Amino acid sequence: MMNQMFFVGLPYLALFLLVAGSILRYVWNPFSYSALSSQFLEKNALLWGTLSWHIGILIILLGHLPAFLVPELWKSLTSNFVFLLTVETVGVMASILCIAGLIILIVRRVVSGKLQQVTTVIDILLLVLILLQVVIGLSMALMHRWGAVWSTGTTTPYLWSILTFRPDISYIEEMPLLVQAHIVMAWIILMLVPFSRLVHIFSFPFQYFFRPPQKVVWVSERRKEHDDSLVVVQESRRDFVKGALGLSVAGALLSVGVLDKLAGFFYKPEVSVEEESKLLEQKLKRLEQTAEERTYQLERMKKEFIYVSRLNQLDIEKGKYFIDYLMRPALAFLGKDGLPILISAKCTHLGCTVGSELDNQGRILCPCHVSYFNINTGMPNQGAPALDPLPHLGWVIMNANNEIILEQDPSGKRYGNVNVSSIDKSNRVFIAKKHKE
Amino acid sequence: MDVRAQTAMVFHLDKCIGCHTCSVACKNIWTDRPGAEYMWWNNVETKPGTGYPTLWEDQVNYKGGWEVTDKRELKLKSQNKKNFWLKMFYNPNQPTLDDYYEPWTYEYKHLTDAKLGDDQPTARPISQITGEPIDIEAGPNWDDDLSGSPIYAENDPNLSQLSEDEKRMLFEIESISMMYLPRICNHCANPSCVAACPSGALYKRGEDGIVLVNQDVCRGWRNCVAACPYKKIYFNWKTGKSEKCILCYPRIETGQPPACFHSCVGRIRYMGVLLYDADRVEEAMKAPLNSLVESQRSVLLDPFDPEVIKGAKENNISPEMIDSAQNSPVWNYVMKWKLALPLHPEFRTLPMLYYVPPLLPVMGKIGDGIYEHKTEDFFASIEQARLPMKFLASLFSAGNLNEIRSVMKKLLAIRHFKRAESRKELGSDKIRKILHESRMDPEEAEAIYQLTSCPGPYERFVLPPLQREEAMEGGEECPESCKGSCGLGDVQTPKRGL
Ligand code: HEM
Ligand code: FES
Repeated sequence: MMNQMFFVGLPYLALFLLVAGSILRYVWNPFSYSALSSQFLEKNALLWGTLSWHIGILIILLGHLPAFLVPELWKSLTSNFVFLLTVETVGVMASILCIAGLIILIVRRVVSGKLQQVTTVIDILLLVLILLQVVIGLSMALMHRWGAVWSTGTTTPYLWSILTFRPDISYIEEMPLLVQAHIVMAWIILMLVPFSRLVHIFSFPFQYFFRPPQKVVWVSERRKEHDDSLVVVQESRRDFVKGALGLSVAGALLSVGVLDKLAGFFYKPEVSVEEESKLLEQKLKRLEQTAEERTYQLERMKKEFIYVSRLNQLDIEKGKYFIDYLMRPALAFLGKDGLPILISAKCTHLGCTVGSELDNQGRILCPCHVSYFNINTGMPNQGAPALDPLPHLGWVIMNANNEIILEQDPSGKRYGNVNVSSIDKSNRVFIAKKHKE
Repeated sequence: MDVRAQTAMVFHLDKCIGCHTCSVACKNIWTDRPGAEYMWWNNVETKPGTGYPTLWEDQVNYKGGWEVTDKRELKLKSQNKKNFWLKMFYNPNQPTLDDYYEPWTYEYKHLTDAKLGDDQPTARPISQITGEPIDIEAGPNWDDDLSGSPIYAENDPNLSQLSEDEKRMLFEIESISMMYLPRICNHCANPSCVAACPSGALYKRGEDGIVLVNQDVCRGWRNCVAACPYKKIYFNWKTGKSEKCILCYPRIETGQPPACFHSCVGRIRYMGVLLYDADRVEEAMKAPLNSLVESQRSVLLDPFDPEVIKGAKENNISPEMIDSAQNSPVWNYVMKWKLALPLHPEFRTLPMLYYVPPLLPVMGKIGDGIYEHKTEDFFASIEQARLPMKFLASLFSAGNLNEIRSVMKKLLAIRHFKRAESRKELGSDKIRKILHESRMDPEEAEAIYQLTSCPGPYERFVLPPLQREEAMEGGEECPESCKGSCGLGDVQTPKRGL
């Protein structure tokens, strides 16, 4: 319910206010559209504050765009580690720039008596909110590393689902709190745009690239047709050509992403009966598959024990994947003592499946954001993006008569009194339902 | 040929007494609002002096106006289309409050409301921005009449042309001289503010050439403030918009001269129509420094030329406007008599306000305590003037001494000519010689004298009223209730955005 409110209700409220508010403010009170510069009253601190902030935020916003507009392309680009590292480093540096700038901007507004005359509550609220947002963004970049990669599969589809009016919050429901806070904050800031000086972003004067230097307005009807005559002609023409080129390239790039997605929504083609039935068939098939999977899942959950492997099939170096009671991946190794080690393979960072081969320090690697986990303790390495250990699973060993000869619960406590060396290596290893409270 | 009509102006500096009545008239009508307290759309400066805002003429610092590139293209000094947006976050050339002054008022209420005490209550100065008490360190006309002062006058950018000797002479205590320079927006024909505005809020009115800011379109980027070399665009710190002199267009549209013109005590101000060729503006503004004044004149069109009249009619310039152009005092001063010169033509904005340079300080040369010409060479005193020619040339002719010299000669010749009528000091031969040397005939000298010394209001202001198809309606209860609001006809409160 809360999730619905924050990730579906809030976005639509924000988008509605953003669009309607900005347009209505423009129509009803164009006089209020202004960047509301305070350079006239204070310029020294402003120089550092505004430049750091604007350069930083423009870089960051530009960085957010490709993951959103061309996720596939972006994904393949960022699969190059050097590129990924560069992108992330630039992002971190830009956000540090932003934070420095914002702190200067806030301090100067609080300190200067003259500036207080032109500072409203909204001004301060806005500055504090965006400062918070950048700080959250920066912590995300440091704690949940490689956002440039994982965003393409999580936040991007979520955003598109909102923008195409088919909200689907499953993409982000299980994201870490920090990421969710960043998303909620973004909606709040967007909501604030029409009620703050942020409308100045919409005022960016694209037309200046194209217009002739001089502007003449004829008030009388007689002369209207001679409108906007030029004084300096050549320069403007050349700039027009250049500007037009630039804009069309930018437009083409944009259209790749946006049009493709939006077109599907706004121009739904008429569907014929055949196509529709085909679609239905596919859907049905998918449903059947799902049903099968679910039945299988249910059956497994009802079993007292689930088979993992024979003892002699386990290896010390290379784990064997299996699925636990809740359909999560897990790994089975053979320990030095000849007994199994069963450990969850779902990374405690963002849930990738962890690799199965031990490195020379006895660790398995999560490839997504490079967390190493010690299989004996489950602990991630120092400095890894994952902070929590991988949990161990309990196991039972049964002989051919289905009698339990040895048992270990998830906390590592053993039951049964057997000499390990005397255990038949062809005995089978199970996980037990009773170990799942 | 693209004929345009322009409401143009002449200020006759010999008649200016520096009383600031114009400034006060303007302030009372237009800029006594919050955010505009520091603005003086009309101000009067003492020259030599640093002016308002301080050192506005120094374009190395402010980067106002146009320049000609090596490729002979006319471009703004402050920005081009490639880099303007970089300056939108922070404008390195924009003056700040300190370059003008912090506006203040006095705590008058304290005089009557103070508690009973031993001391006489005083009215302390308080800032009009913060409302806190301030120490006044600068103000409008802070260097008024301080011509000899080392802090103000010596820093006048126009003095850079002078040699050390000349500078020393200028500031010799007994021969200190000065002049007044009233300034309003020049309503240029090639305005750099319009060209610099990213939002396209600034425009020139087609019918009469008045340059205005559309307050609803202005987004407060402030590029115009930097680009105007005369610093006649001001940033309203409260509303976050730019403002400028509007040439009292609501008055002009109803046939009245602007408030500063109307109130001028010395009657120094003339207003009339000029016709000019918009097609030639760009080329003319690329002229080398020395010929800038002449090339600026070459843009103006003779309102009696049948070709011009035909072109004007084709462009739908009304017969009344053409008629005004033919009777224009501005045309007479600028083109017919070549007495009035543009202020700082080297900014290349084609200003439409012309100045007749002052003769008086020039002529005040002391020779044994006598303020008179010497012997045969009537014009020698001009060369030895206390206010050096070079200084005036730096102000009004981009350094071209000949332009100034010929104006001075004419002014001096007219003086001799009129003096001879009553005092009979010089014989008619000599007068004829003087007039000849200054390239005038007696009729012209008489006409100049008449328009300079004895003009009635209808000779000084020659404008057809109601040139706009619909003059703005006055609004409901204006003007009293409209004090402090903005807009004309469509009045609204100037409420700052969030
Ligand atoms: C599109 C290009 C942008 C331009 C040209 C621009 C320009 C400006 C200008 C001229 C100011 C006034 C600075 C002054 O006091 O003189 C300003 C202030 C501000 N801008 Fe932008 N801006 C842009 C984009 C953005 C973006 C994308 C954001 C945030 C998402 C932003 C947030 C702010 C904020 C918060 C302030 C207030 C700073 C203060 O406390 O004075 N701007 N901007
Ligand atoms: S999911 Fe991030 S390290 Fe495993």
